[in-house]
Amino acid sequence: MEKTWNNKAWFMVLPVLVLVAFSAVIPLMTVVNYSVQDTFGNNEFFWAGTDWFIQVLQSDRFWDALQRNLLFSGIILAIEIPLGILIALNMPKKGLGVPVCLVLMSLPLLIPWNVVGTIWQVFGRVDIGLLGYTLAAIGIPYNYVNNVLDAWITLIVMDVWHWTSLVVLLCYAGLVSIPDAYYQAAKIDGASRWAVFRYIQLPKMKRVLLIAFLLRFMDSFMIYTEPFVITGGGPGNATTFLSIDLVKTAIGQFDLGPAAALSLIYFLIILLLSWIFYTVMTNSDAQS
Amino acid sequence: MATVSQRTNRWPLALAVVLIVYAALTGLLISALPVKDGARDWFAPLIPGGWMAWSFPGAMFFLTIFALLSLMAVWEYASPGGNPRVGILRFETTRGDRLFVSLLGSAFIHLAWLGLVGPNVWWALALSVVYAIGVFKLV
Repeated sequence: MEKTWNNKAWFMVLPVLVLVAFSAVIPLMTVVNYSVQDTFGNNEFFWAGTDWFIQVLQSDRFWDALQRNLLFSGIILAIEIPLGILIALNMPKKGLGVPVCLVLMSLPLLIPWNVVGTIWQVFGRVDIGLLGYTLAAIGIPYNYVNNVLDAWITLIVMDVWHWTSLVVLLCYAGLVSIPDAYYQAAKIDGASRWAVFRYIQLPKMKRVLLIAFLLRFMDSFMIYTEPFVITGGGPGNATTFLSIDLVKTAIGQFDLGPAAALSLIYFLIILLLSWIFYTVMTNSDAQS
Repeated sequence: MATVSQRTNRWPLALAVVLIVYAALTGLLISALPVKDGARDWFAPLIPGGWMAWSFPGAMFFLTIFALLSLMAVWEYASPGGNPRVGILRFETTRGDRLFVSLLGSAFIHLAWLGLVGPNVWWALALSVVYAIGVFKLV
C-alpha cells in the first residue's frame, strides 16, 4: 500500500525527541557506563568490565528478589484484573450512581504511594491499628512485622485496595463505549448473561484490558515505596523486591557499579515481559 | 508538499554518509584515548572527572546502536513500507520489530553467557550476530 510522505513531519517529532533524550536516554547511557566501571566517589572511575554483571547474575540475592517480584506481580494480576472487571460490570451505567461510583473509585488513585504505605503500616499495627488490633482482639494471630505470610497478605491487600480502581475505571470506559444495539441484538437472540459478557463485553474491553494488564504488571513489578514503608523489605528479606534490593545496593552500600548492572538487568526483564504480553495480547486481538 | 513514497535510487549516498560518520566518530574516539607508556589505554575514562563516566567501549556501544538505527532509516529510505511479513512466530513483524527482537535477544544472550560461561563476551557477540541474522531471515 502506498502512503503519503511529508518530511516536515520530522520537525514535529523533534521536541519529544529532545524531552526523551533528557529524561530517559541520557540517564540510561549513564547507567550503562556505570555498570562497567567502579567508583569511590568524586567522579573518578576505574574499568571493571563485566564483573558487576557476573556478580549480580551469580548471586542468590538477585534470583530470590526476582522470584519474589514475579510471584507478587502474578498474584496482583490474578486478583486485580478479574476483580476490576467484576466491579466495572456491576457499576451503574446511568443516574446519580455514576458520578458517586466514579469518585469513590478514583479516591485510592489520588493518594501518594508513601501515604498509602503509611496508612496500611498504621492500619495493620497490632497495638494501635484498626485492622491489627481487631484481628488480635478476635483471636487471629496477625503481625506483619515478624510473620512472612502476614507481611505478604498485607502488601497484596494494600495493592489491591490501591490499584483495582484503575482496572475498574479502564474497564468501565470500555463498557460504556459499547453501543446499545449490541445489547438489543443479544436480547432478541435470547443470549444469556454469560454469553453477553463472553461475546460482546469481553471482546470490546480487550484493548483497555491490555492497557490495564500492562500498567499493572509494570507497576507491580517495579513496586518500591509501599513495601519500603510498610515492611522495609522484611521480615528478614521476605518482601525485599528487586527495587528495594537495588536501592540498598546503590544508596545503602554505595556500590554504584553493581547497582547499575542490576538496574540494567531489571530494565531488560521488564522490557522482555512487557513486549511478550503486548505482542501476545495484540495478536490475539488481531486474530479475533 | 506531501508526496507519495516510492523506492529511491539515492540510498547509496545516504548509506555512505552513515558509514563515513560512523568511521569518523570512531576515529575521533580513538584519538581522544589517553596514551600511557606509549600505548593507548582503551579502558581509561574519555573525560576525566566527567559525571557520565564515558569510556571507549561504552561510547562505541552507543555509537553502534545509533549506527544500526541510522542504517534502518537508510533501508526504509531505500525501500519504504517496513517490509511487513508473517514469519515463524506466526504474527506480522516489520524490519523495526525484527531489529528490536534482535537487540533484546542479544542482550539476553550476553547475560546468559556472563551468568553461565564467563567474562569473555566475544563468543556471545558472535552468537548474537548469528541470532540476529536468523531473526531477520525467519521472523
